Amino acid sequence: MAQITVYNAQKIITMDANRPMATHVAVRDGRILAVGGADCADQWGPVTHDSTFADAVLMPGFVEGHCHMMSGFIWDYAYAGYHDRIDPDGKLWRGKTDIETVIADMRAYASTMPDDQPLLTWGFDPIFLQSERLNRHHLDQISDTRPVAFLFSSGHLMCVNSVVLRMVGYDGATNVEGVMKGADGTPNGELQEMAAMFPVMRRLGMDYRTKAHQEKYIHQFAKVCVRAGVTTATDLFATITDQGLAELKRVTAQPDYPVRIVPTIAAMNAAPEEIAAQAHAVAAHSHDKLRLGAVKLMTDGSIQGWSARVRAPGYVGGQPNGLWNTPPETIFALCEVMQRERVQMHAHTNGDEASDVTLNAIEAAARKHPWPGARHVLQHAQMMEGGLFRRAAELGVCVNLFVNHIWYFGDQHAALTIGEDRAARMDGCRSALDAGVAMAIHSDAPVTPMGPLFTASCAVNRKTMSGRVLGPAQRITVDEALRAITLGAAYTLKMDAEVGSIETGKRADFAVLGQDPTAIDPAHLADVPVLGTVTGGHVTLL
Amino acid sequence: MSALPRLPLTVIGGYLGAGKTTLLNRLLSEPHGQKIMVMVNDFGAINIDAALIERADGDTLSLTNGCVCCTMGNDLFMALGDALDRRPRPDHLVIEASGIADPAKIAMAARAEPDMAYGGIAVVVDGENWPKLADDPLIGAQMRGQVQVADVLLVSKTGGALAPNLAVRLAALSRAPLLDLADLPQVAPVLLGGMAPDGVQGGLQGVAADHPAYVGWAHEGAERLERPALEALLAARPAGIYRLKGHVLSPDGALEVHVVGPTIDIKPAQSDSTRVVAIGLASQIDRETIAAWWANAAA
Repeated sequence: MAQITVYNAQKIITMDANRPMATHVAVRDGRILAVGGADCADQWGPVTHDSTFADAVLMPGFVEGHCHMMSGFIWDYAYAGYHDRIDPDGKLWRGKTDIETVIADMRAYASTMPDDQPLLTWGFDPIFLQSERLNRHHLDQISDTRPVAFLFSSGHLMCVNSVVLRMVGYDGATNVEGVMKGADGTPNGELQEMAAMFPVMRRLGMDYRTKAHQEKYIHQFAKVCVRAGVTTATDLFATITDQGLAELKRVTAQPDYPVRIVPTIAAMNAAPEEIAAQAHAVAAHSHDKLRLGAVKLMTDGSIQGWSARVRAPGYVGGQPNGLWNTPPETIFALCEVMQRERVQMHAHTNGDEASDVTLNAIEAAARKHPWPGARHVLQHAQMMEGGLFRRAAELGVCVNLFVNHIWYFGDQHAALTIGEDRAARMDGCRSALDAGVAMAIHSDAPVTPMGPLFTASCAVNRKTMSGRVLGPAQRITVDEALRAITLGAAYTLKMDAEVGSIETGKRADFAVLGQDPTAIDPAHLADVPVLGTVTGGHVTLL
Repeated sequence: MSALPRLPLTVIGGYLGAGKTTLLNRLLSEPHGQKIMVMVNDFGAINIDAALIERADGDTLSLTNGCVCCTMGNDLFMALGDALDRRPRPDHLVIEASGIADPAKIAMAARAEPDMAYGGIAVVVDGENWPKLADDPLIGAQMRGQVQVADVLLVSKTGGALAPNLAVRLAALSRAPLLDLADLPQVAPVLLGGMAPDGVQGGLQGVAADHPAYVGWAHEGAERLERPALEALLAARPAGIYRLKGHVLSPDGALEVHVVGPTIDIKPAQSDSTRVVAIGLASQIDRETIAAWWANAAA
């Protein structure tokens, strides 16, 4: 007979309506055997009591429904961003709020590196700095002997020092779109878009294709998750190679690997039938902690890059409408084939026109090939309003809203991208829930840091970086937000019968917290400490 | 810089169903004498004559004429890096852009990358459906954008005659030469240029000289031009030259020149003489006109 362990905690928030609160949870064979008081499992035989969590609060392990395993390897680079950030090993990287601090911190970091190694940084975003734009003269102050390259957080821009410019032969005679020049006619170090960045990335070994699914980074990603209390996490635009799949399968199966990983295949650059066939083929490799079989569509761009496809009245600065990454005709073809072949889709749609077109495509596909329970998910879905949410509800389509944008880019959205009214209703959790849409909320890590409690806080408080409350009518309650980061997100991954709440029969996946998120001022929800996780009964404490 | 010759990159743009794959199938089966590497989005659509296929290996097809065809995966630019690192390096890389892509965003990499040469952007325009696509509220802007960045426009499905209103619309968006695919006896000269792979360094024979529909012009000399003078000369080239490439001596070392349609790309190079080849359609230009224009270089 397998051992029964009964954990006691200060409080257990179950997300199960039958027993919302408890003090004890019994675990057997990685699953929840009973929930309640100290005697909850006595009818099952002899138990062992364990008071590891006596001072902690347990919640269902958090589910991050939209992030990327790149969050693991990005920390090979030095962090140069504006906000404080904690790396997978718990080291705090202070936010750099002016160029002088950027230079000083990166100089200090470079001094710890071997001389021949390039300094590569991530997370820098010029949108947050009021000062002069970052250029090669700044980076030359960090080092004028080793290559220095700052990859901006959008991924579409970088800034390099003079060493790098010489390495790729960019000079005053270079006439390449994206190689930006200063007043003196020479390149100023800023490189825009991949074509101009590619020669640098090639020479500095910045090839990300297979990195995420290497053993080292699969582990690194797990550390990021544990720190955030996450026990189920997606890799939401994965390129799955045979070798990567074998590694994922092997590493995640290790008994102490603490996260259930849900990679979704990038539905691009192949015929829909081939993509569906690959989804089915990889699905056969799923196990308890690896769930394959869904795909990810990439329909439009980003709102802050003015490349999202938006409906009237368009962008507030009069910018032209954004770009399709997949033409509507192909979105329709993909939806039809995936629906027919029973492959669940996650569709990146930032702008409301992209959400609209994708709903049309799903509706057309559903008419031809009915599939109750398809649970396709519109990801980001930032500009959906009441009308689109009600349509999603009718069609059984879920949404996973990028509510972290309210804090990080809310001020910019109101002032520069879509204007006050639509910024106030964007990532509209209240409207989604009121319309009856199955809803999750997410970080898109590493775009914003993984941290479901922070994400929940954005949905509850809707505070921007400047401190204003953007769209107070769209705020949701703490209970609703906690549901969105557990059961809500699990539903979008079709794992809600298995994880997302603490109830008998489900997997023993818990977030271990230092405070009760329901008993504090909601303004401080993001500050609730995460102490670790339990995954299938396996305890990982920080 | 690597001692290997630069890898020229030609990008094929155009919407779904315009005929990009048909064009690539044509290119791969023509007797151009070059070892071309073709990268496509949808491998299944490539339909090469079985007799030409030497080996099919996962997502790479090797042809008996030395060409290869493969998929690019989800990171196009890193796939460019793979092509550059391939040994032996291909003579020419041809990439099929996805139907909605801006081909200039890919082709610009050939201007940025020191180890690549600009081979231009050929956009295949669907002669039947393009006007409708160009007016589509969802994708019209991206369709017109593809035409705006083209170095050569290849019209498919014309039924033998280019519709005048289509030609007018395209001309309003682009200065690129406009060719009816049905009229082209071979596509390699337009997509790749007219030289044998070692043409710049060595022989000047090539496809262009071999086919009567095309005019090939080659020149070797000792003229030396300052970069601004070269740019001015190229800007004044006669209409009807689709492609020109070669090395031109200058006071600060040689320059490598690639001209495709309206685009001029110049990079530093090593050479001990000025050697240039150009190509156009025989119905539009003759060798004497090109020679007379180039004579200004020595003036």
